[in-house]
Amino acid sequence: MITLRLLPLMTALLFASGCAGVHPWVKPYEREHLAARVMKWERDPISSSYMSHVRENREGARGATGTTGGGCGCN
Amino acid sequence: MQLSKHRPMGDSAMSARLSLGRLAAALLACSHAATCLAGTLPEERADVMWKMYEGGGIRVHGPSVLVRKNVTDDVSVNAGYLVDQVSGASIDMVVLGASPLREERKQKSLGVDYLYGKTTYSAGVQSGTENDYDSHTVNVSVSQDMFGDLTTVTLGVSKGWDSVYRVKDASLARDPAFHKRVDRRTWSLGITQVLTRNLIAGYDQEVITESGYLQNPYRAIRYLAGAGSTLFLTSPETFPGTRTSSAAALKLKYFLPWRASVSGQFRYFYDTWKINATTTEFGYSQPLRREAMMADLTYRHYKQGHASFYSDLFSSPNQQNYMARDRELAAQSNDSVGLAVSFDLLKSNRRFFKKLQGSLHYDYIMYKFKDFRDATQQGFGAGNEPLYHYNANVAQGFLTVWF
Repeated sequence: MITLRLLPLMTALLFASGCAGVHPWVKPYEREHLAARVMKWERDPISSSYMSHVRENREGARGATGTTGGGCGCN
Repeated sequence: MQLSKHRPMGDSAMSARLSLGRLAAALLACSHAATCLAGTLPEERADVMWKMYEGGGIRVHGPSVLVRKNVTDDVSVNAGYLVDQVSGASIDMVVLGASPLREERKQKSLGVDYLYGKTTYSAGVQSGTENDYDSHTVNVSVSQDMFGDLTTVTLGVSKGWDSVYRVKDASLARDPAFHKRVDRRTWSLGITQVLTRNLIAGYDQEVITESGYLQNPYRAIRYLAGAGSTLFLTSPETFPGTRTSSAAALKLKYFLPWRASVSGQFRYFYDTWKINATTTEFGYSQPLRREAMMADLTYRHYKQGHASFYSDLFSSPNQQNYMARDRELAAQSNDSVGLAVSFDLLKSNRRFFKKLQGSLHYDYIMYKFKDFRDATQQGFGAGNEPLYHYNANVAQGFLTVWF
């Protein structure tokens, strides 16, 4: 019961501690794997852009692909 | 790095030296984390590509070039150019008895990135020209690293002005009496989050609003020739003058112990035309020959419902206010598998040239429609033809130079 009463206070303290500053849990010297070529979202922008164009011209959906596109009236 | 695993215990001086070496290597690797962690300018590279799409009676091929170069320590510029030679006849053109298409699309782009502390400001312009379509787009975005560089947030906005024309005949000259406009605005949000030393997540959201002439001037609906008839007639399409869509994508990428990676992505899309769509993608990347080669395997599944005003066969040319038979608005799905291989051709320590790489990409896409019928088939009667489906091949070959 006491725990339940303290829950809002504990939650508030949790958020307040978050505002005090986030300490990186993955240090810069631990990011070797993240820097590998295989971990890049978009390794070849010229290819990603072309594939987005191919798909958006043949599907009803568009957007949120991480690439920039322009208008096209392709048949 | 590998040596430290086999060092005999007790040699503390050597262990300390190797630990420092490991730390230095990790820090060096971090400095090259250009794309997964912002706060750095894009890679300096030039790509020259030949690409080809073939499927559904249409063949599109042509070259593409993209160059990115730093002009100062904090400014990078990029320029792109591509040409698409389009030929053939899609199923819509065959149904309407139109002659096979032969046209050209050219697209140019220019952009600049400015790095200021942990913030990257980007701006770009893009224009495209076809026989019957001109497009112009301006985009700006700002990207910010935060929370100890574990999080990168990118906000972007773009505006597009398109002009829709209609060609008169086989000469492909524009009909001077037909000129329509499309205005487009895009707002995007991107978040990249480092979750663990082996796992990153990404979230992208994009809202697009369009207004103007949003239909294809050549396409038509089909409707029954009469009550009880098995024949159909055609009539021009009528689209709404506005469209707003929203798409959200969540993606994850995980580094595997054998230096490969596996990724997954899910996207949900909906718009004011009542199209709902989902996209699911999986990828696997494997370095080969001491990372001188890279192989990528991808699988993608896409599924969508039809637009509220879409029908394969209407009962009359005035059945409702808006009527469309574009197959892009039909209920459909497609599955694609892709294989990409890239390989180092040359390496150099010279100032203006670091590496030359060759890449070959191939994608096979299988399109299936749930309510778009193959009206070119004879002997079935309108509305009873088999459902349309086709397969497409997409090939890309390109050379990349890193400066």
